[in-house]
Amino acid sequence: MAVLLTAQDLTTNFYTYEGVVRALDKFTLSIDHGCTFGLVGESGCGKSVTVRSMLRVIQSPGVIEGGRVLFSEQAGTDPIDLLELSEEEMEGIRGDSISMIFQEPNAALNPVLTIGYQVAESFLFHRTAQMSTRICEKIDGGVSFGLLTPLYRAMLSIAAKSPKSRFLKACSRIPLLRRWDTPVKDEAMRRAVDIIGKLGIANPEEIVTRYPHNLSGGMKQRIVIAIALACHPTLLIADEATSNLDVTVQAQILQLLNDLKKESISSILLITHDLGVVAETCEKVGVMYAGTLCETGKVEEVFSRPLHPYTQALLTSVPKFHQEGELQSIEGSVPNLVYPPSGCRFHPRCPKAMEQCSIEKPELKELRKGHFVACHYAEAQVGGLV
Amino acid sequence: MTAYIIRRLLFLVFVLFGVSILIFGLLSTFSPERRAAAYVTTPQQAENIPLIIKEYGLDKPIYVQYGKWIQQVAQGNLGWSLVAARPVAKAFWNYFPTTLELNLFASPLVVIVGIWLGTMSGVYRDSFFDHSTRIAAIVGWSLPTFLFALILLMIFYGYLDLFSPGILSSELALWVANNPDQFVRYTGMYSIDGLLNGRPDITLNALNHLVLPVLTQVIVVVALLMRVMRSGMIEEMSKDYVITAKAKGADFKTIYQKHAKRNALIPVITVAGQLVALSMEGSIAVEVVFNRQGMGWWLAESATQLDMPVLMSVCMFVGLVFVISNLIIDIMYAYVDPRIRLH
Repeated sequence: MAVLLTAQDLTTNFYTYEGVVRALDKFTLSIDHGCTFGLVGESGCGKSVTVRSMLRVIQSPGVIEGGRVLFSEQAGTDPIDLLELSEEEMEGIRGDSISMIFQEPNAALNPVLTIGYQVAESFLFHRTAQMSTRICEKIDGGVSFGLLTPLYRAMLSIAAKSPKSRFLKACSRIPLLRRWDTPVKDEAMRRAVDIIGKLGIANPEEIVTRYPHNLSGGMKQRIVIAIALACHPTLLIADEATSNLDVTVQAQILQLLNDLKKESISSILLITHDLGVVAETCEKVGVMYAGTLCETGKVEEVFSRPLHPYTQALLTSVPKFHQEGELQSIEGSVPNLVYPPSGCRFHPRCPKAMEQCSIEKPELKELRKGHFVACHYAEAQVGGLV
Repeated sequence: MTAYIIRRLLFLVFVLFGVSILIFGLLSTFSPERRAAAYVTTPQQAENIPLIIKEYGLDKPIYVQYGKWIQQVAQGNLGWSLVAARPVAKAFWNYFPTTLELNLFASPLVVIVGIWLGTMSGVYRDSFFDHSTRIAAIVGWSLPTFLFALILLMIFYGYLDLFSPGILSSELALWVANNPDQFVRYTGMYSIDGLLNGRPDITLNALNHLVLPVLTQVIVVVALLMRVMRSGMIEEMSKDYVITAKAKGADFKTIYQKHAKRNALIPVITVAGQLVALSMEGSIAVEVVFNRQGMGWWLAESATQLDMPVLMSVCMFVGLVFVISNLIIDIMYAYVDPRIRLH
């Protein structure tokens, strides 16, 4: 399978008052076309920072210090490095080729803007040219948009060629002329109604006029998904998209994502701390610990034959239905990333730690076919690719 | 919405009643002699103090005095202003337009400049622009208004002779006073009356006299508004919905103008409303330094001379302004924040 997105040696630091938090330390990951990839790890291990770094939406005081994020939208084409693009080019990719669903539907929507506008924005940012062309064709075909039709025709033909031209921006400040984009906005709103309806929300025409506080948590999450799916992204990143929802809604949303993947999106990167969700929905999985990827491979392979001691500990600490006795947990706590442990970041908590572990950072190596592990112990045990 | 506004306006009556009782209570702590002394202007009259007390009913129980006063007020008689040497109601229409005129120009400037500066320094936090506006704001806020006004006056009037104090140049003021039939004072504000009477030269002259007081007012008041807007902007820019907008592909300007600004405006509305309401009382320092006899000047003079009818009336007026401005603030709240519904 062709590789869609690769993060290489991604390093992100947060410059806080307490010191430099080394949130991502040479993080490496790759996602294939058409694959559902699950990224799991404890809270605070840097899952969200990873995806936000990939999309370059890290907020201050976070800084991406190094690495590459290679993205090839069409299989087989030369990848582009997202970290080297200009901010403007990046704006064209966000929400169009790669989009994101957020953890907290309550916080992720703007409380003072209507649902309709917030969804329509996706179309306005990425489909203005396309919509303008359509509307021009309609006008040429004899459809009237009221008294201002000639004005619309003239302005939209410019927008169809370069939707972000300076001329149009200047016109948006002049009374009357600023209304050139009314048909585009109406069209974007129609599309918003469409996509909200497709996501299984009843009465989308009414919902678009509402505000986030009028909606339930599950509905809000669907709206957030609608925003992300609006432009049919190649990669959808779901950052703990279901963590704050109750189990039934969670199941519905996961089902929805699964259905959508078949229809429109090529790949999903699912971030979660719920191993059950990963086992059920993902093909591949990556296990993260303290800003590094420790193990990655096919879900069945990693979950049935985990090689990294952290993955093993994580899997034994999952509560089981028929289990009696105490719940297993991992000794110790997540390290303070201002002073991360030397060598392997897991070594202070690792039952299998060796001398080498505190000195040298293990590299991600393919120990079984398609199964990568970053661990000195596992390497010594398995002894390289068999 | 209409029902809400009507209910709030009915509420106004109770507020004014409360304010009047408070002020009356405070003033009743002065002995009748002290209050009677306020009516004395010459040493000879000092002998008449008992007479004055009797005449004004100052020795009667407080509720009788209050009843008498409220009776007069209900008939539209607010009393006689010693300071202005005319009835309070008449004097009010003499002083209030001067203050209103100043605020008519200063308040929009304060709001627009404050919001713009606050937005920009919040968005470009820790930039050179941010630091310089913040320093300027601290200086403007902490310098005493009268000192600031004097410095401006010294530079622009003393050295440059550009803008002079007062309301109108003496020749024009004399002409207006001598020709009441040719120059009708519709609003009491020269800058507007000049246009209404077809005398643009008077408007220009009045505007020229307004520059320095408006500038002082704006610089002193804008600092607070700017700081509230800035901190609101910083807070909103770190919210999750900003990341959603960014992940949608929004450009930086859309993010702060469309997404963050409206949220940041919510606390600013309160502060701006209160500031504008507060300046309707007139700034004493600005009015004294620039020799513009408005509400602030009148209130200060009346307070020092214990001009009771004026103090009562002005306090009632301030109560009125605050109730109305709070109503406007609430309505604007509901307009900006869809989560608020007025019932």
